[in-house]
Amino acid sequence: MWKYLKKYWMFIILAPLFMLGEVSMDLLQPKMMSKIVDEGVLGLSNNNVGNLDIVITTGLQMVGVLVIGGLCGVLSGVFATMCSQKFGNDIRKDAFGKIMKLPFEQMDDFSTGSLITRVTNDITQLQNLVAQCIRGFVRTILLFIGGIICMLKLDLDFGVVIACALPLILVCVIYFIAKANPKFSILQAKLDRLNNVMQENVSGSRVVKAYTKEEYEQKRFETANGELVNTQLDVLLLFSYMTPIMNIILNVSVVAVIWVGGIEVKNAAVTPGDVMAAVTYISQILNAVMRMTMIFQTVSRGVASGKRVEEILNCKPVIADGEFAGKTKVKGKIEFKDVSFSYPGMAEETILEHFSLTIQPGETLAIMGETGCGKSTLVNLIPRFFDVTKGQVLVDDVDVKQYKLQALRDKIAIALQKSEIFHMTIGENIAWGNPEADEKMLEHAATTAQAMEFIHTKPEGMHTEVSQSGTSLSGGQKQRVAISRAILKGAEILIFDDATSALDLKTEAKLYEALKKDYPYMTKIIVAQRIASVKDADRIVVMENGSIAACGSHEELLENSSIYQDIYDSQMKKGGEDDGC
Amino acid sequence: MAASPSLNQYKIPGMRGPRNQGSVEKPKESKRTLRRLAAYFGNEWLMLLALLATVFVVVVCSVYAPKQQSVAIDCISEGEFQKLPEILLIMLLIYGIHSICTLLQSRFSAVLSQKIIKKMREDLFSHIVNLPVSYLDSHSHGDIMSRMTNDVENISNTVSQSLSSLFSGVLTIIGTVGMMLYLCPKLALLSCATVLLTLTATKFLSLAMRSFYRKRQVLLGELNGTVEEMVSGYKTVTAYNRQQAVVEEFEKTSDELTKVGIVAEVLSSSMGPIMNLINNVGFVIIAAFGGYFAVNGIISIGIISAFIVYAKQFGRPIDELAQIYGQIQTAIAGAERVFAIMDEPCEDKSGSLAMEDATGIITFKNVDFSYVEGRQVLHDFNLEVQAGQKVALVGATGSGKTTVVNLLMRFYDVDSGEIQIDGKNIKDIACMELRKNTAIVLQDTVLFADTVRNNLKYSRTEATDEEMEEAAKMSHCHNMIKRLKKGYNTVLSGEGYNLSAGQRQLLSIARAFLAKPKILILDEATSSVDTRTEKKIQDAMVNLMKNRTSLIIAHRLSTIRDADCIVVMDQGRIVEKGNHEELLQKKGRYYELYMTQFSGNAT
Repeated sequence: MWKYLKKYWMFIILAPLFMLGEVSMDLLQPKMMSKIVDEGVLGLSNNNVGNLDIVITTGLQMVGVLVIGGLCGVLSGVFATMCSQKFGNDIRKDAFGKIMKLPFEQMDDFSTGSLITRVTNDITQLQNLVAQCIRGFVRTILLFIGGIICMLKLDLDFGVVIACALPLILVCVIYFIAKANPKFSILQAKLDRLNNVMQENVSGSRVVKAYTKEEYEQKRFETANGELVNTQLDVLLLFSYMTPIMNIILNVSVVAVIWVGGIEVKNAAVTPGDVMAAVTYISQILNAVMRMTMIFQTVSRGVASGKRVEEILNCKPVIADGEFAGKTKVKGKIEFKDVSFSYPGMAEETILEHFSLTIQPGETLAIMGETGCGKSTLVNLIPRFFDVTKGQVLVDDVDVKQYKLQALRDKIAIALQKSEIFHMTIGENIAWGNPEADEKMLEHAATTAQAMEFIHTKPEGMHTEVSQSGTSLSGGQKQRVAISRAILKGAEILIFDDATSALDLKTEAKLYEALKKDYPYMTKIIVAQRIASVKDADRIVVMENGSIAACGSHEELLENSSIYQDIYDSQMKKGGEDDGC
Repeated sequence: MAASPSLNQYKIPGMRGPRNQGSVEKPKESKRTLRRLAAYFGNEWLMLLALLATVFVVVVCSVYAPKQQSVAIDCISEGEFQKLPEILLIMLLIYGIHSICTLLQSRFSAVLSQKIIKKMREDLFSHIVNLPVSYLDSHSHGDIMSRMTNDVENISNTVSQSLSSLFSGVLTIIGTVGMMLYLCPKLALLSCATVLLTLTATKFLSLAMRSFYRKRQVLLGELNGTVEEMVSGYKTVTAYNRQQAVVEEFEKTSDELTKVGIVAEVLSSSMGPIMNLINNVGFVIIAAFGGYFAVNGIISIGIISAFIVYAKQFGRPIDELAQIYGQIQTAIAGAERVFAIMDEPCEDKSGSLAMEDATGIITFKNVDFSYVEGRQVLHDFNLEVQAGQKVALVGATGSGKTTVVNLLMRFYDVDSGEIQIDGKNIKDIACMELRKNTAIVLQDTVLFADTVRNNLKYSRTEATDEEMEEAAKMSHCHNMIKRLKKGYNTVLSGEGYNLSAGQRQLLSIARAFLAKPKILILDEATSSVDTRTEKKIQDAMVNLMKNRTSLIIAHRLSTIRDADCIVVMDQGRIVEKGNHEELLQKKGRYYELYMTQFSGNAT
């Protein structure tokens, strides 16, 4: 955290400095006031004959002092705001940047709702903390200390009063902070929960409605909301004791000051004006203390939030960059060497076991197999979405762990199972694959992906805006946008992770044909369920329980592999017979 | 489905393009917003009254205490020291009452604020779950979330921290002015100059402040939207090495937010010093004129000292009001955004007929539908599904299959024509009833960050564990669940990186099975499931779907081959209808589709 603040040391120094200006002006003022009262109004040094000139000149001086004070105050506010906002902005940007660097397994540790809370709400709390500290806190402390010093200067006996009051206040503050601190961490966690319920409901609204769970969700929300509100109430109720306790301590001090003042005046040690000034100083101190209770709330909350943001900032990505920049002679070769894999934290369930396979440059390899047999996992290991548990994955004869992540992923284009569509135009969605691509390349990729035909029917073609979940596109259209994106990337390895499942067969067949014709040099890995999707591949790997059950061309497998035959039958046999072919 | 130009109206603050901040920027509405906020307080009028009462006592005490102070100081200056103890005792008593009431006041305002906020969040949420799907389809999810958290929280903070300050501020000003008038009307009138100055300054600053606070909340919503969208689509971001670009976009919004935030904060923090200045000028005026009056013997020293304390006291509430002013502005900006959602019309759920005896005959009669005016998706769509039938919809992507489902579930309503179940228009059937009897498995699986058990039982909370396992076995995910470390008690994560898309589909099929619906809709529900598993699920389904109607959308013809009726759609129209054999013999569109699949395999 400190390193973020260091950058703004100028502001951090300037803000309190101007604040000092403001406060010292504030402190000068009771002195001038007592002069106005004692000299001007009462005329104590002039045989009790008042002097209006003194009132007016001192009054004008006081206004001057106040203008300076006000200016200082505004400037101090400007610097404090600049510092806290810029500081928060830096952290926010870094936190988001960090999130965008986390591997999936670590991302999964935070929920989406929690990440959102941390990047927005928690950082706002941190900003408040900084602003309060360099402005409010400094001001309060200065007023507090200044008030005490001025009072002591009036008469040392008032010091006795302060000496009694201060330790009491200190104990109070420490007690409340200690009690409140853990509560704020809980509070933010409850906010996460609320955010999560919201997120699930907003993005899963169709399922909620389809199962008529509106009431159930409302109850779920009410629980989360209730917990959040109760925690918040807890905090507020705790702090509700703080102000009155401090108040009573200081008010008793006022009484004591008047008492002491009475005695001193009797002994002619101080003037009644001094007693008045002392009372003013005490109310100033009281004011400062009241503000401090507010500040302590902000600070405690900010500290709790700071911890949560730091959790993101200090998160070390478990998948670290390698050194290799990615220039290789071979282009498009993939090798799995005795790979075993289980998901982090689920070591007992092995997804891949001693898996070995070499894919040659330019080869089209298809992968089939039962749901959950590890097909997607296998292709996820190539761009290092996850790291192997044992063994090695080589791309172009280099271990993927040696690559710079960016370099490795530049070699690979992958269209995913869930075709993610972002809220922008179709064209921009496709251009994600290659931001430098021109209109022509864009259209070429879309044509190959068979997306052009439906894009043409849209009112604004490529410039048609699509919504976040892509609900304005059908499943097959989304997939084709995602495939266009992958093709546009022009990488040496192209992976379709079950990315054509929603395409009708005709479209799919055309897609593969176009792909073969236009991009023959790419190594293609196709994970699919349909025989039609895989039959033209150079080799088809049939996976079972994380290892290879069979491997060969469509014809070979039809002859040798009982599983493949079975899959074929499940899709083809009955229809084939009926049709008499 | 067609992309809608109307989306432009609701341009979601996401990545790029012109941003529409207009939907919440209606300055004239701020009075209405305040009134609606006030309505929330109306429900808690007892608590509010109690709060007001304690605030009143606190204010009376803090107005009365200085009076005693001045009496005490008068005693000192006049040398009547024997009176002092009595006065000081009274002061102590007042301070005691003051403290107790302050405590009560804080507690009341804490409870009040949390009650109001709880109610407001619940209202907002229950409105959101009842919003039509089309609204959520076209608005940034992150922004909606931001309204629920950031905006409501601003209101909450304001209510809990500022409400009593506001009350006591106003009361103190009234009380102080009253006291001053009582002590010396002439001096009191002078103090009014301070009030006038204050009001002018407040008005001027508030105008500038509000628009910036509004902008800030909108930007915060945008930021929320970006984070939500990018975190949910994180895999794609990573796969395309777009982290840097995404971060840059985020930074742009973040920088903008910072700029607006700085202006808003500077304005609100200038409020304090400016008020301080005005207030102290008032003080000097009082001292000068007070001195003048004293010199001329019009008032006593004690009254001046009291007046001076009052002048100070006068300053404090004004100063406080200035401090909380920014907060109030943020809260109003937030409330505007919250109410903007609450003003969206809810789903039409006007029907009331029951569906208990429905047999599941579905009739589409001359249905026309378009998501966006002028771009019709379904044209004169007619279809009759007999009870217990298994009907498949096939056709090129974008031919309107999912739209049929959207209409049947009443996620969207038809433009013209009607849809009937057992002869009753679905608009007349209670919406809950309709959906309760219709289970749907969607293209995109939605699972909740909860245990497997709760996810499955989502469709029917009262189902027994046996029934649940039965459903899981039928959808072939029982073994997979058993392999998980904690079985049915395993908590799924939202994004669920450790379950494959196929496995997630199996779980949502199990969920639909468990619902025991009269009508089952599978919209590409098995697209990521391998065909052998799918076949087994289908075999299991035969029993379950006896006497139930099912509607299946699939691209794999193997999925739908044994359907009673296959409907081939093209551009929103039915082009062919019949069972597998009939359609093959017809050698039409279905035959073509089938042959691509078949001939492909025959090489």
